[in-house]
Amino acid sequence: MTLHFQNQFGNEILVPEQSYLLNGDTLTIHRFKYYISHIQLIDEQGKKVKLPVQYYLIDAADSNSSMIQFNIPVGKYQSIQFLLGVDSTRNLSGVQSGELDPLHGMFWTWNSGYIMAKLEGSATSSQIAGKQFTYHIGGFRGNNNTTRVITLPFYVIDKCITIVADAKKWFDGPNELSISKEPICHSPGALAVRIANNYAYMFSILSK
Amino acid sequence: MKYQKTIGVIIIIGVICCSWIAGSNYFKPTPVKFLVPKGWPEPLYDFKSNPLTKEGIELGRQLFYDTRLSKDGTISCGTCHQQFGGFNTYDHSLSHGYNNSLTTRNAPGLFNLAWHKEFMWDGGISHLDLQPLAPITAENEMAESLQNVITKLQAEKEYRRLFKAAFGDEKISTQKLTKAISQFVLTLVSSNSKYDRVMRGVDTFILPEKLGYKIFKKKCVSCHTEPMFTDFSYRNIGMPLDPFLKDVGRMKITNEPSDSLKFKVPSLRNVMRSFPYGHDGRFFSVMTVMEHYRKNMVPDPRTDPLLQNRLPLSNFEIGQLTAFLHTLTDSSFLRNPNFAAPGKGVSTTAPVDIHN
Repeated sequence: MTLHFQNQFGNEILVPEQSYLLNGDTLTIHRFKYYISHIQLIDEQGKKVKLPVQYYLIDAADSNSSMIQFNIPVGKYQSIQFLLGVDSTRNLSGVQSGELDPLHGMFWTWNSGYIMAKLEGSATSSQIAGKQFTYHIGGFRGNNNTTRVITLPFYVIDKCITIVADAKKWFDGPNELSISKEPICHSPGALAVRIANNYAYMFSILSK
Repeated sequence: MKYQKTIGVIIIIGVICCSWIAGSNYFKPTPVKFLVPKGWPEPLYDFKSNPLTKEGIELGRQLFYDTRLSKDGTISCGTCHQQFGGFNTYDHSLSHGYNNSLTTRNAPGLFNLAWHKEFMWDGGISHLDLQPLAPITAENEMAESLQNVITKLQAEKEYRRLFKAAFGDEKISTQKLTKAISQFVLTLVSSNSKYDRVMRGVDTFILPEKLGYKIFKKKCVSCHTEPMFTDFSYRNIGMPLDPFLKDVGRMKITNEPSDSLKFKVPSLRNVMRSFPYGHDGRFFSVMTVMEHYRKNMVPDPRTDPLLQNRLPLSNFEIGQLTAFLHTLTDSSFLRNPNFAAPGKGVSTTAPVDIHN
């Protein structure tokens, strides 16, 4: 089975360095990256079938990163569940390798922990140098936890499932996020949690 | 006679071949046992995940003193962590960084790291192996990217050989790089001061040291706990916020207002050789630290409960305490050639500490 993450901004395919409209504002996305791990499928009886723990770094700039392939036992499944982000154990276990290697720029060296997801770009409404906005969302402890368990129901079971990741939801999820007011998030805390509560809604299964 | 000679030659060739095969095809670094000083707690570092070896320690030492880890090749770990100061930044209040920048803190001393749970003055780093990543990548420290460090080292034949000897593979990775540095800094154990010898029963305090130790046990030991001379906690000791650095300490990591201006309790080992003091090196002598505790500190509700009424100290007590603090100097550590830059020997050119 293949999971394909299709990065979008609203209804458009997200391509780095392209511009998108957001409530009259024009945004150019430079980077959109996030970790996916702990994938499991839930069968019709509600039983969870866990896949071996693997960490995937999905990067909008690298199309190879958006395909995840795995073997699952034959059967019928009603939904898929995964973790957006990196669990606390891996945050606390020293230097990791592979997708979790700190050299991928998804690790805070001064306050040990992974950046679960990152969205960077520029926007006409930004009031800071370079008209930038940079959202590096991380934090794994207690109330500052920014990992989110995502559960998506299946309608049609297929060999390839396309999951849409809509970056626009970072701004118009349950919590309003205004680039002019809050152009930067670079540490764990309340703002990161608010944005995490938004990106918890960015995934959906593409209906064909 | 002639046969004997021939057989002898054949045997010698055989032995050489065997050792050549063993040397080149089998990866077998020399294990090094980590010795826990008598009476000390068990270390927290997980040596199983990174077993000490002679080759790993040697590689770590090369890396620790290699300026190529910085962007412009001028700064190594050892630049700010100087052996003669117990591996702190000696004489300078704030450690210096890339392109004439100043950091916001005085690089803390490095010793007995196997017993630390968290690192940095604010405890922001959760694992010793992660520690080097912060100074390497910080813009006001070494300002280099991890990928560039790896690329630069991978291009060096000598490093490929050292990595192969330490880890069985010449391909350099973040993990191997940081594990090697951990191996070296883990060997920096300071446990042979006069105080330690007295505790082992092989030396005795002179009277002022003895009196100082008594005062220490009464007034200092609850935070500077033996045998590490720190309890590894974070405390607000009434040091007012520096208006330029705006360093709130532990609160930067936890976001908890109650952690405002809390910094890790530093160990007092080698304290008389490691001025200046405080997270930002604002105290240039032990005497100013004593004055801070008894007079200058500004207690507020977030200041440590033990210091709400400052710390009364008489001149006499300060004198005896200072005598005791001198017994925490571990000369064999400060001058151990195994900890010095490879091939250079111990630097004996430390500036004279005129402050203490």
